Amino acid sequence: MREFTVNFTSQKKAVKVPHGTDVLTAAVKAGIMLHASCGGEGLCGKCKVLIGGKEALACQSIVSRDIDVSIPKGSLETHAKLKAASEEFTRGAVLEREKAFAFSPMVRKEYLELSGPTADDNLSDLERIYRQIGRKFHNVHVSTNLANIKHLSEVLRDSDFKVTVSIGSKDEAAEILSIEPGDTKNKNFGFAFDIGTTTVAGQLMDLATGDILGSRIAFNKQASYGSDIITRIIYGSTPEGLKTLNEAVLDNMNEMIEDLTKAHNVNLADIYAVSCAGNMTMMHLLLKVDPANIRKAPYIPTSTVFETVHAPEAGLKMNPKGIVSFIPGVTTYIGGDIVSGVLACGLSESDDITLLVDIGTNGEIVLGNREWMIGAAASAGPAFEGSGLTSGMKAVNGAIQKVEITKSLEVKASTIGGERPKGICGSGYIDLLCQMLKAGIIGRDGKINRDLKSKNIRETDTGYEFVVADKITVNDDDIENLKRSKGAIYSAIISLLNKVDKSLDEVRKIYIAGGFGNYLNIENAIFIGLLPDAARDRYEFIGNSSLAGARMSLLSHDAYLKTHEIYRNITYIDLSAENSYMDEYVASLFFPHTDLGRFPSVRL
Amino acid sequence: MALTGLDIYKLLPKTNCKDCGFATCLAFAMALAQKKVSLDKCPHVSAQAKDALESAAQPPVKLVTVGTGDTKLEMGNETVMFRHEQKFFHPSGIGILVEDTLSEADITAKLSAINALTFERVGQRISVNLACLKNTSGDKDVFAKLAARVASSTKLNIALLGGDAAAVSEAIKSCKDRRPLVIWDGSGSVEPFINAAKENKVPIAITCAGPEEAAQMTEKVKAAGVEEIVINFKGDNISARIQDFTFARRTALKKGARSLGYPFMAITSPAGPHAELAEAASYVSKYASLVIIRNTDREFVLPLLVVRQDIYSDPQKPVQVEAKIYEIGKVDKSSPVLVTTNFSITYFTVAGEVESSKVPSYVICCDSDGMSVLTAWAAEKFTPEKIDETVKKLGIGKLVAHKRLVIPGYVSVMSGRLEEVTGWKIAVGPREASGIPNYLRNLK
Repeated sequence: MREFTVNFTSQKKAVKVPHGTDVLTAAVKAGIMLHASCGGEGLCGKCKVLIGGKEALACQSIVSRDIDVSIPKGSLETHAKLKAASEEFTRGAVLEREKAFAFSPMVRKEYLELSGPTADDNLSDLERIYRQIGRKFHNVHVSTNLANIKHLSEVLRDSDFKVTVSIGSKDEAAEILSIEPGDTKNKNFGFAFDIGTTTVAGQLMDLATGDILGSRIAFNKQASYGSDIITRIIYGSTPEGLKTLNEAVLDNMNEMIEDLTKAHNVNLADIYAVSCAGNMTMMHLLLKVDPANIRKAPYIPTSTVFETVHAPEAGLKMNPKGIVSFIPGVTTYIGGDIVSGVLACGLSESDDITLLVDIGTNGEIVLGNREWMIGAAASAGPAFEGSGLTSGMKAVNGAIQKVEITKSLEVKASTIGGERPKGICGSGYIDLLCQMLKAGIIGRDGKINRDLKSKNIRETDTGYEFVVADKITVNDDDIENLKRSKGAIYSAIISLLNKVDKSLDEVRKIYIAGGFGNYLNIENAIFIGLLPDAARDRYEFIGNSSLAGARMSLLSHDAYLKTHEIYRNITYIDLSAENSYMDEYVASLFFPHTDLGRFPSVRL
Repeated sequence: MALTGLDIYKLLPKTNCKDCGFATCLAFAMALAQKKVSLDKCPHVSAQAKDALESAAQPPVKLVTVGTGDTKLEMGNETVMFRHEQKFFHPSGIGILVEDTLSEADITAKLSAINALTFERVGQRISVNLACLKNTSGDKDVFAKLAARVASSTKLNIALLGGDAAAVSEAIKSCKDRRPLVIWDGSGSVEPFINAAKENKVPIAITCAGPEEAAQMTEKVKAAGVEEIVINFKGDNISARIQDFTFARRTALKKGARSLGYPFMAITSPAGPHAELAEAASYVSKYASLVIIRNTDREFVLPLLVVRQDIYSDPQKPVQVEAKIYEIGKVDKSSPVLVTTNFSITYFTVAGEVESSKVPSYVICCDSDGMSVLTAWAAEKFTPEKIDETVKKLGIGKLVAHKRLVIPGYVSVMSGRLEEVTGWKIAVGPREASGIPNYLRNLK
């Protein structure tokens, strides 16, 4: 097949693609992220580019010769540098939790000085190694593959019987992944990944010491084929679509691996282990497993558990003998990311009743302790990820994340990175709603007060809107949308408590995880009725708990085994089948709630 | 006191073996607490736990079955006071009183009238369930003959009402294989009625003055060996009966009183057809599992069956509107055509906004199993192919002179494909219904 070069002039990047490829796909291949929320159907009109100076939609333009493409700024996904220090990913109690499990990384390296064979000690080369390992690791069944055995005699004799074996832990067994001459014990690295619908986060770990060497976060490249999960599942329902989505996320991960190994002078061949956590759809797409039935009633995934695989099967750039593991999930709606979060916050080992609320595109909630756990997903919608709102955006540079409103109804907004405001992110909306309520701009029903005289309150075709900053507004429909989101999460929490006849007061610890960047004002979240009015010292914002759990599983095989215990022990509650959930939900469609008695600390 | 899901969980093996069909022991325990499943589904439960769980595992309202086969009437097994808490399981049976003093010709007419009391409503068949034969004549042969006749000439379930045990026993024999309900009318002695029910293995209804008497009586009947019991509250008037029903049901459900954990029945008082309909509807809405009426006029029976259908529908299933073309305002050939799903709230919201726009329009509801727009789209119930099929089937093309469909803004992503399959021009409407008036006014 003929290939053509697509030259992205503004990015100074060129790629060769086969005849017939569309420009959107070529851009993704070149590592350039274009807006395309419709999934490349030619409908949203967001992927406008200039091809040879003429305006066209990238997804509808087919490459049939060498072309120059220039991309206007508006079509680029905001590629603002996402800050990536590990302490911003996970916070507080979770960092302490990592010490709870014995250090036994997914891949261990052992330096062995073997005695050579003699007439009296006539064990085979391989048995010789097993004997030595057996001396060090009891009760573990060890095996290895033929490729290692084929090279074994040569490796042993060349190295004077001094070798380093890397041993990968796979559930109850262990496998010798590689046998290298000499002492390479300190060259043992791994990656932990959280694969989210919107963002992918990764960390390079030193498996010899347990240290975090570096972190990266990036937008999931699959977003170019649909920003929401349903569009993506539809896209992935054909073999070609599935392949494209799979390659997109692998690209994300491989870029991070290359980027971080380069930055920290680590050889790619020294990456032996990767641990991944993600929601059910992301796991299916990562492993190229058909996700189609996830969106069709009765919403059944192909599998919730995926065996540890070798690197080539996973398609990751690392030592080909290395292994990749996946945190298991419970159901379609409670994926490995939540099981990972439960591991990270310690809910499954707590004597006290603990609550974990992960606020992302869905609000996932787990309640319980060491004896029992129940979990549910609230279809909160992506409003708190800044999606589907007039001025909503992700928590990146330029997003308003803190808001104050003065008595004269002037708005003081501060943005991430201190840049000129481009939109409002989830934590910004929480602050905004709280301040608008306090200032009387909206009533408890969420409607903008039409009698208030202010230049910032304007009538529009569909109702009223409030001006937050230049070209940034919030209107009646936005507030309605946010109200439904917060109501869905709050009522899911209360429904779970009701399900086991527990009161809010009996919950000793409440962990909030999710994509709020690194700022969430719990007080304000309670004020608008997103979170229940519990004692503030019981709340803790823990950031990306999914990544923390993946990291813990990478560093401790006990932690990994624990995730298999956790997923089996979480009882999934289908809230849509609970009549009381609908009652709770409708009752919560007020700020903070129709029943003010539930929010004694909120003074309006 | 009823055990909670967590209480029961503590007594289970906690192995999550899934042999019961549930994913975890806790899920099973919760279903058990809600009486949605029986304990014997768990093959591993210990004898000790079994004893502790026995009371919690039993349904709080005993299931009583009258009749056999497809048309049998099941009563009881209710678990909630209010429909919205979960659902009601068994719709009230409606029975027609037939006295054995009627002339041969009148009986023929009455039975054919009862047989004809069957209607179709929102796609479901609704009918009366039972003929309640009353021994007014005092003659046991006449009564037995009537029972035999009803058994042989109709498929109706049968209840035998009287105070003379000899007459009722005789009648049971002539329709025994139809598993009739024996109703003791409260006169004379109850013992021979209990014996007749026990001997013939049929359920019994006992007439009582109030909950206290009922509790004593059911204990007595149960001790005598009859398990399937219905309580017929006598009550002085409608409100006294409703009070008895409510008190007895609440005591059974909330306090776990086994002696009141049975289905209830009532027989309407002799009154005009309007008063009787009102009375019967009151009992249907407040806990009567069987209501016996006298009137067989279709115009009075249908409303009663509709009340029953509405109360006993499952509120967990979304309410749907008919999938068809709705005309809003004075539509003509140029009126816009809006497409949405058949979830009732979706339709009524859209219809309301179209009305307030004052732009006459057609609204087509596609059958989406009652799901709202985004849910239906995500679950593949609202797809371009499905819309195409609906549009063609309903023949909107004959009603309008244009070829343009307006679809909800939330499914804008399907507009391209929809245009391809329908050949119609697709316009993307607003995401929220609140934007419809403005949208329609500016639609050129």
